[in-house]
Amino acid sequence: MSAVLETTVPPVAVPERRPTWADVIQLARFEARQQLWFLPVFATLVLYVGYTVWRLLFPPDGMAAYPALQDVDRATQTGPLLLGIALFVCVNRAALRDRRRGTDRQVDAAPMEPWRRTLAHVLSVVPYAVLTALVVLGSFTWQALKPGAVGHGSPAELAVGPLCVLLFGALGVLAARLIPSSFAAPLLVVGLFAGALFLSAGTGDAPWSRWLSPVVTENSGDTLPSDLIGRPAAWHALYLTGLVLLAALGAVLAGGGQTRVLKAGLAGALALTLAGAVAQSGGDTPQLRAARERASVSPEKEQTCVRREGSTYCAFPEWTPRTATWAKVVDEVRSLAGGAAHTQPLLVRQRVEARYGLDSSSAFEPFADPHRVSVGAAWGGNRVPEFSAAVASVLVAGAEKKAGDMCDGRMVTVMWLALAWQDDPMQSLRNVRLDDSLSGSAIVLSPTNPLRMTAAQTDVVRELLGKPKGAVEAAVKAHWTELTAPKLTTADAARLLGAAVPKGGEDKCES
Amino acid sequence: MRELTRADAGRGEVRGLVRELAGPVFRTLPWRAVAAGSLLGLVAAAVPRLSDGAGGPWVALNLLRAAVLAHALALAFLLDDRARHTTAAVPTRRPLRAALRLAPVIPVTALWWTAALLLVPSSVRPPTGAVTLEAAAACALALAGAALAVRLSDEPRPGQSVAGALLVTAVLAVLLWPDRWPLFVAPGDPKWAGAHERWAWLLAAALLVLGACLPEPTHGRLRHRQPRRPLTPSGA
Repeated sequence: MSAVLETTVPPVAVPERRPTWADVIQLARFEARQQLWFLPVFATLVLYVGYTVWRLLFPPDGMAAYPALQDVDRATQTGPLLLGIALFVCVNRAALRDRRRGTDRQVDAAPMEPWRRTLAHVLSVVPYAVLTALVVLGSFTWQALKPGAVGHGSPAELAVGPLCVLLFGALGVLAARLIPSSFAAPLLVVGLFAGALFLSAGTGDAPWSRWLSPVVTENSGDTLPSDLIGRPAAWHALYLTGLVLLAALGAVLAGGGQTRVLKAGLAGALALTLAGAVAQSGGDTPQLRAARERASVSPEKEQTCVRREGSTYCAFPEWTPRTATWAKVVDEVRSLAGGAAHTQPLLVRQRVEARYGLDSSSAFEPFADPHRVSVGAAWGGNRVPEFSAAVASVLVAGAEKKAGDMCDGRMVTVMWLALAWQDDPMQSLRNVRLDDSLSGSAIVLSPTNPLRMTAAQTDVVRELLGKPKGAVEAAVKAHWTELTAPKLTTADAARLLGAAVPKGGEDKCES
Repeated sequence: MRELTRADAGRGEVRGLVRELAGPVFRTLPWRAVAAGSLLGLVAAAVPRLSDGAGGPWVALNLLRAAVLAHALALAFLLDDRARHTTAAVPTRRPLRAALRLAPVIPVTALWWTAALLLVPSSVRPPTGAVTLEAAAACALALAGAALAVRLSDEPRPGQSVAGALLVTAVLAVLLWPDRWPLFVAPGDPKWAGAHERWAWLLAAALLVLGACLPEPTHGRLRHRQPRRPLTPSGA
């Protein structure tokens, strides 16, 4: 006996749950976490953050203590490119995951539409862009807070790094939706590289093609006042923003999004990109060229001058805080000099060569007028003994132009004055010489024309720098007139200063 | 005498196997990837000719290196095999199957490389032997990477990961390779010969890794791992 139970199961009304934006964000967070498991993304991320921190904590030379912020902002741009390339490949791979695993049918049955999933892939790059922005801002702030920092950074230049990360990620999704094949992404990177080379070689680096690249680097490492740099950074940031939106919205459109809002957004992004691309390709304006000419040829019209301890220091407005460090060097060198040079007022003028922009580095002409010293825009590290050598050579020879032709025993006086006051005179001697040597003849760098040292002069200077400073200083002050007289031989200089007289007579300067 | 005949019989068996396998293996090769990589490489190599050698030998060499990279990225997909888990147990050993995969690609690569070299105008073409060494090393590195991925993972198609890793490694190497052992030098640089000695070592190392990774692991710990528990009850 068994009772047949006839019950009908009431149909369960499955609540139709439409996917919301919160779901998209949720999926994007998941995908962003997944990205970290890809070795290329993880490795480049660690490398990028690690290298940036390493460079901040252990700078390569003394110039890092005196950064110019208009250079610092640009220096943050190339690092994120690496992370961008890794993200391009890996986001592309994540966007093709269902296809590769054969689960696209199942996923298509899920309530979330393909375009929302595509959007989530695009949004999964955002945390990485935010991280890049934090690294960029952190490293810029670190540099800007240094007491020796001068100049102004540009927010548009700082935005390039994070925008590049976003752009590469969005391009990765776009590539996955347009060319759904596993081998396309790495090849596209190589193709983009070859295309960029072709464009730059084919157009001879015209401004319009140069600025199409996401990161635009400059040939010259020189520092210019920020109003003479002439990089259309703001337009370029707009262009990059347009490209990011174009790639992201294009990917969503290719992923099946068909709304009118999306198409309107795409048109807007295209307009933004075009506007940026056109505006950034203008090249240098006549006003900019005139301003550069003025700053290079007649800097006195642009500069502000400060008087310190009898000397005058003229600098471009952004560099005015640095006049104190220049004055310290001048005072140190003058205090070692004797005769009239001990109190000789000098005119120290900052010089830049801006006529060629940042295309090429160039030296400037030495001053012919007496008691004028040039100083460059960079400071710290080797620039200090170089400036010190220039000050000493002007005190001894009278003018920069004459100092360049100087090829006699006075070089001993100049080099001792320039280096004796420094913390580590031997290291400074090595740094100031072009070949970093401590013996033999060499070129001595200075802000304008280089000076020349013979092998005998090098030996005498090296011996003098090893002696107690006070004794040599007394000898320098006692024999100042002889030590600064033209045609002084190296042997005489050595004799006057109490050093061993070099054997083998007078030798010739390198030319 | 008996030993010899058995060996002969074995050789004949292998020959028959090769004849039977060559066709199907040839069809399963990632020809689309190789075609795309080679084509892109040819386009890159043709840039100096299209722009009349603008940029000089340095640009031409770098474009040729980009071309090699494109081809090597395609080669990273060569050992992808959907049927990997099915064929793991067949008596034909994996080195033989891998060799059958490599055999048709080598002449294709050689032909492609000749065409790429000829596309570069002779005025800016770098020394042929040395760049060929670089190209061989890059291709061998890609194959070694693919073999290593097959050997160390359970993934039947690791090509995409290998290509991604190869690309990022190439970019990182160009940027971060220590100056003490230069590798990416310009033609005419005094370090050119030393750098190519290093390329030869790289080639040798890559071939060694490739050879070492070809046999099927008999007691790999990855191989005998428990299958991952399905994420959802349905196992989808």
